[in-house]
Amino acid sequence: MDQFLQHIVNGTILGGTYALLGIGLTLIFGIMRVVNFTHGELYAFGAYMAYLLVQVLQVNFFLSLVLAAALGVALGALIEFVLLRRLRGADIDTVMLVMIGAGIALQNFWQLAFSGVAKSINHPFPNLPLVFGPVSVAPIRIFVIIVAIALLIGFYLLINRTRIGVAMRASFQDPDVAALMGVNIPLMRTLTFGLGSGLAAIAGALLGPIFVVTPTMGDLVALKAFAIVILGGLGNIVGATIGGFVLGIVEEFGAGYISSGYRDAMGFLLIIVVLAFKPQGLFAAKERIG
Amino acid sequence: MLQVEGVTVRYGHVAAVREATLRVEAGELVTLIGANGAGKSTLLKAISGLLPLAAGEIRFEGRSLGNASARAVLTAGIAHCPEGRRVFPQLTVRENLDMGAYLRRDRVAVASDLREVFALFPRLEERRAQAAGTLSGGEQQMLAIARALMSRPKLMLFDEPSLGLAPTLVERTFEIVAEIRRRGTTVLMVEQNALAALGMCDRSYLLETGRIVQHGTGDEMLANPHIQKAYLGG
Ligand SMILES: Nc1ncnc2c1ncn2[C@@H]1O[C@H](COP(=O)(O)OP(=O)(O)OP(=O)(O)O)[C@@H](O)[C@H]1O
Ligand SMILES: [Mg+2]
Repeated sequence: MDQFLQHIVNGTILGGTYALLGIGLTLIFGIMRVVNFTHGELYAFGAYMAYLLVQVLQVNFFLSLVLAAALGVALGALIEFVLLRRLRGADIDTVMLVMIGAGIALQNFWQLAFSGVAKSINHPFPNLPLVFGPVSVAPIRIFVIIVAIALLIGFYLLINRTRIGVAMRASFQDPDVAALMGVNIPLMRTLTFGLGSGLAAIAGALLGPIFVVTPTMGDLVALKAFAIVILGGLGNIVGATIGGFVLGIVEEFGAGYISSGYRDAMGFLLIIVVLAFKPQGLFAAKERIG
Repeated sequence: MLQVEGVTVRYGHVAAVREATLRVEAGELVTLIGANGAGKSTLLKAISGLLPLAAGEIRFEGRSLGNASARAVLTAGIAHCPEGRRVFPQLTVRENLDMGAYLRRDRVAVASDLREVFALFPRLEERRAQAAGTLSGGEQQMLAIARALMSRPKLMLFDEPSLGLAPTLVERTFEIVAEIRRRGTTVLMVEQNALAALGMCDRSYLLETGRIVQHGTGDEMLANPHIQKAYLGG
């Protein structure tokens, strides 16, 4: 039982960052209809920017996280502006190939710029875990989950409660009619891709100090983000959030009760089971934004 | 108020509208009639900035709308209620109406316009929190009209507002269009139902394969033998 609680806590913390990755991708994939193969690279980018700012430039840790997220938004917006904007109306294969190419180019650029050697990021939190009865948690992990949940709530409110969020959803449901309402559609696409990318970058910047930073760190994470999007139903923000937490907890159980070698396999096993019984994802019908 | 002069609109190499010229004066209700594929929707889309002009000129209140963006056209005071209702299905009724007022910053006036729109369409107020995609066809058409009204336009473009509605609702829709004009909004309406369109308008234009081939007052058009033969089943 003690073990069980500990796994739940660890899984929830991991799930928070998965959820951030998932809603970023579901926004881009589900509503822009772009299969974003650069999502994992934006995650690595966020981690590398945190490394650069904290370790190399000695910037304050918390400010570094904010800057890493902002740079992620900027890089995402740039990718949309330079690549995707030109590909409006191109068929999905072309867009997919371009995005795969962009992903490979970015990953190799991280390796060129930062070498293949794993980097670690120092954080200002004490390393001694906090003990709550049977459960012990490192303070940095508590910080990560608090930030993740705050971002998830903030993002949900942005999409559902603000003028710009309503316009964003309208734009992807019917771009021509949204344009008739005065929405600047190209700007909306850039903004959406930028925000989705920023979420991947902040997830990387948050997990960088817990794990280590490597050029290929985004590969597996991108696959998991796709899994979360499928789990939650395309374009479904709430679904992706729940999917992220479910994946985190299932992975933790797999690692804890079966073998730590099966951690990553557990998530994909879950996807296979869900898709076999509910091909439209767990929450396909509700809260769709696309 | 609105002048369309020699406008040509192409899809690739195919011209869907050729050298169309028409005008709408302030306070008028003008209709544009024609068969399927004549280019009626294409012309409305060109006016509202959704499609670029291959040739010609569009002027509104004396100012050129040349190749203005949809946003600029809306800001100038032209709203477009599109063919096939096109409400945002996953937004609520209220959110759809908010989208209609997207560019407006005068919150107080927007709130009072919202009350006015709800007074005109009480059904929408009852269903304000419901996803627009779950409304009936008639309710969706009312929502599309209400949404366009929320921009408080000087000129309203209607594209076949009666399409696909039951006869009683068709009548109600035309009443609403007439009411909107009575309240001071100028109207340019595309309509396939030539009899209804000619009966209620001040003037009308007939579009055939992209060209405007006839125009005149409603009565003149109703009396025209070609129109009687081809469009009025006479
Ligand atoms: N997006 C498009 N691409 C290519 N051709 C188009 C496109 N939209 C319309 N057309 C063509 O342009 C012509 C005019 O179409 P338009 O929709 O303006 O007709 P309409 O008069 O509105 O017809 P309806 O009464 O059926 O709505 C048609 O031949 C149509 O096939
Ligand atoms: Mg049409």
